[in-house]
Amino acid sequence: MSMSTAAAAPGGGWRRYFTWNTDHKVIGVQYLVTTFGFFLIGGLLAMLVRAELAQPGPDFLNGTEFNRFLTNHGSVMLFLWIIPVLAGFGNYLVPLMIGSRDMAFPNMNALSYWLIPPAGLIMLASFFVGAAEAGWTAYAPLSIQTPVGQTLWAVSVMILGTSSLLGAVNFVTTVFTMRAEGMTFWRLPLFVWGMLATSLLVLLATPVLTAGLVLIAMDRVAGTLFFSASNGGDPILWQNMFWFYSHPAVYIMVLPAMGIVSEVYPVFSRKPIFGYKAIAMSSMAISILGLTVWAHHMFTSGMDPRLRIPYMISSMIIAVPTGIKIFSWLATIWDGKIRFTTPMLFALGFISMFLIGGITGIFLAAIPIDLHVHDTYFVVAHLHFVLFGGSVSAVYAGLYYWFPKITGRMYDERLGKVHFVANFVGTNLTYLPMFLAGLLGMPRRVSDYSPEFATLNLMATLGAFLLGTSVLPFIYNAVVSWVSGPKAVANPWRSLTLEWQTDSPPPAENFHQLPVVTSGPYDYGQPTSVPGQAQAVPAAGD
Amino acid sequence: MQMDTRLSSKPGAGIRTYLLVFLGLAVITGVEIGLATVGLTRSLRLPIFVVLSLAKASLVAAFYMHLRSDSRFFTAIFITPVILILAVAALFIIA
Amino acid sequence: MRDATRSGDEAGMFATGRRLGLDHLKLGMWLFLASEVMFFGGLISAFLHFKINNPSPESAFLDVVLVGLNTFVLLTSSLTVVLGLAAIQRGDRRGLIGYLAATILLGVAFLVGQANEFALLYRHGITLSSSLFGSTFFTLTGFHGLHVLVGILWALSTLFKAVRAGYSQSSYLGVEVFGLYWHFVDIVWIILFTLIYLI
Repeated sequence: MSMSTAAAAPGGGWRRYFTWNTDHKVIGVQYLVTTFGFFLIGGLLAMLVRAELAQPGPDFLNGTEFNRFLTNHGSVMLFLWIIPVLAGFGNYLVPLMIGSRDMAFPNMNALSYWLIPPAGLIMLASFFVGAAEAGWTAYAPLSIQTPVGQTLWAVSVMILGTSSLLGAVNFVTTVFTMRAEGMTFWRLPLFVWGMLATSLLVLLATPVLTAGLVLIAMDRVAGTLFFSASNGGDPILWQNMFWFYSHPAVYIMVLPAMGIVSEVYPVFSRKPIFGYKAIAMSSMAISILGLTVWAHHMFTSGMDPRLRIPYMISSMIIAVPTGIKIFSWLATIWDGKIRFTTPMLFALGFISMFLIGGITGIFLAAIPIDLHVHDTYFVVAHLHFVLFGGSVSAVYAGLYYWFPKITGRMYDERLGKVHFVANFVGTNLTYLPMFLAGLLGMPRRVSDYSPEFATLNLMATLGAFLLGTSVLPFIYNAVVSWVSGPKAVANPWRSLTLEWQTDSPPPAENFHQLPVVTSGPYDYGQPTSVPGQAQAVPAAGD
Repeated sequence: MQMDTRLSSKPGAGIRTYLLVFLGLAVITGVEIGLATVGLTRSLRLPIFVVLSLAKASLVAAFYMHLRSDSRFFTAIFITPVILILAVAALFIIA
Repeated sequence: MRDATRSGDEAGMFATGRRLGLDHLKLGMWLFLASEVMFFGGLISAFLHFKINNPSPESAFLDVVLVGLNTFVLLTSSLTVVLGLAAIQRGDRRGLIGYLAATILLGVAFLVGQANEFALLYRHGITLSSSLFGSTFFTLTGFHGLHVLVGILWALSTLFKAVRAGYSQSSYLGVEVFGLYWHFVDIVWIILFTLIYLI
């Protein structure tokens, strides 16, 4: 039986990407392309910020303009790029990886996507009425006093939160109710485990941010007094409500990315993943623990001092499941038959960059250290190593890895490697100096700084410009290859997971015959496996 | 969208049960209003009313929402955020 | 088992869920309700934060008896919803229609009662912006009221479908899913009534 009720035949043409289409593969591509567009916008904002910071002294942006650019750089990158692009991967891959024909709620899936462009427009339109300027963290009371654009910002984030939430409902329901025969939970690809762990956080944490944003919006628009200290209101309450979501949010931004690299390592090492269950359970552990640590962002806020040490402890404990994953990945690669394809290069970049970011996170979890480096460039460096060096590397790994599956064509490997080198060098050149600047005392969110930080800032700006140019080979590669690259076979990487056992691109109904799963997803080179034997065999009938 | 009755709750989990539960809810509400107008000390109010309201909520969830007869997974899905929010509320109040 | 002879899933797409005893629509609704617990929980946390740290004498103006009666009205509406479900489960379409209509009336009555309470407080000068108490009270109960309103609209839509013979003894999951939402809104009110009016 066919799922082409949505008129989503593979040759459906580019027009269907601009319509309400319920095929998860179309929606997945809509997500990937749209969010990449926002990535470029967020990147442009970053270039402007770095251009201003290249030298001490005001250059071309005044303080307010600068604050608006950096606020929207952060907000666009987090809410319009990294969170939804990973949801986009989830949309495209989860049904294929579990052997189903679509998500559980295809119409709600389309809605989740179509909430994004208007929300993005609202956030960017705020530039015309006085954009949000209180940082992506929108601390009260400043966020209550800024011009109208801040309200638009709040509305936009609420819409994006709704999109994310509906997606999570869809992912969990799909995985629990639509797995192919034989696809037990312990045979799920680790990317699916990553999406499950992520969805848990989205469901439990996002609504609290929504509630907080409601309070901010009401203070701004309806004259309520929630965060008005002189009337009994409490700005710390906003910090609690905000961070209760926004800390788990960083795991929402990294768990699917970890899932992506978990897919890449075994394929390009020709070895089973080391510690499959440990990685799967660590994802759930990170998710659950991630709900308990939020106030480590508030150590200097004047929060109740008795609570600080418990938060420090819980924040450090998260390093354990994270470390288990890193060691498992290293053990996967160890002694493997490694192919340094572009996806593998980005996945290897992920481990090293994420490690730097993660370890500096442990530094920050220690209260005495945090008291010195909170709100300095040390934090900026930390977050960019995990989010850019980490998650974005993984996104690139995923985009290259699944490019042939999604488009049916192969990208240019040399251009991919050029992209990787420029990205890797640029990342380190941009963000390593920031650690030093922060330790030496340079605060974040400033448009001007003391001259002793000049060299470090110049380095960071040069690195940022290199990063900016590094996307060009990627865009060229992606567009030209999609249009006229060499046709790809169904399984160019000889991977064992289900999405590779169907055509590239997959037919509208995903599989001509639904698979019956007979083994785990990473049984490379196993004595019991048949060479070339995929994770599943086609069913006898539908 | 087509509906599948196979996993709907058993019919006639008992009209009698539903009515008894309603009676329980009504009685508890009556007790609550009574106690509220009588006026108890703060230290007594809190535990009594909290327990009574949890009792009412549990009755609705268990019988009207069929948690008692459906998959335990649904109960887990509902209880988890309840427990989480109790801890969160406490922390938001203190900090 | 609960296997009925007719299935809505001819393609067998949800076979795995069925084997686990999970209908995908119900699972989706429960997951959504979990998120609503967190949403209302967030608003309640804010309310309690201020009630405990900044208690207000204005809470003396709250009318416990009136709103207590209103609570009773909403509880009754949960009964009518579940009786409506029981009706269609025995094939009694007209019973379902009657109980849905009753639910809608009771829901509207609840909102009218709330409006009354709001007006009462307004007459004492308590509004969203007059004080922190006003801010927290009206925001929390206001969002609950909005959820009741959405429920009433959903009930109307369910009623129309029932009138058009859209439900039967073998196909009533939509009624059950609506019921889950409605009961949840009732449970939220049970908690709100206690936290705002009783303690």
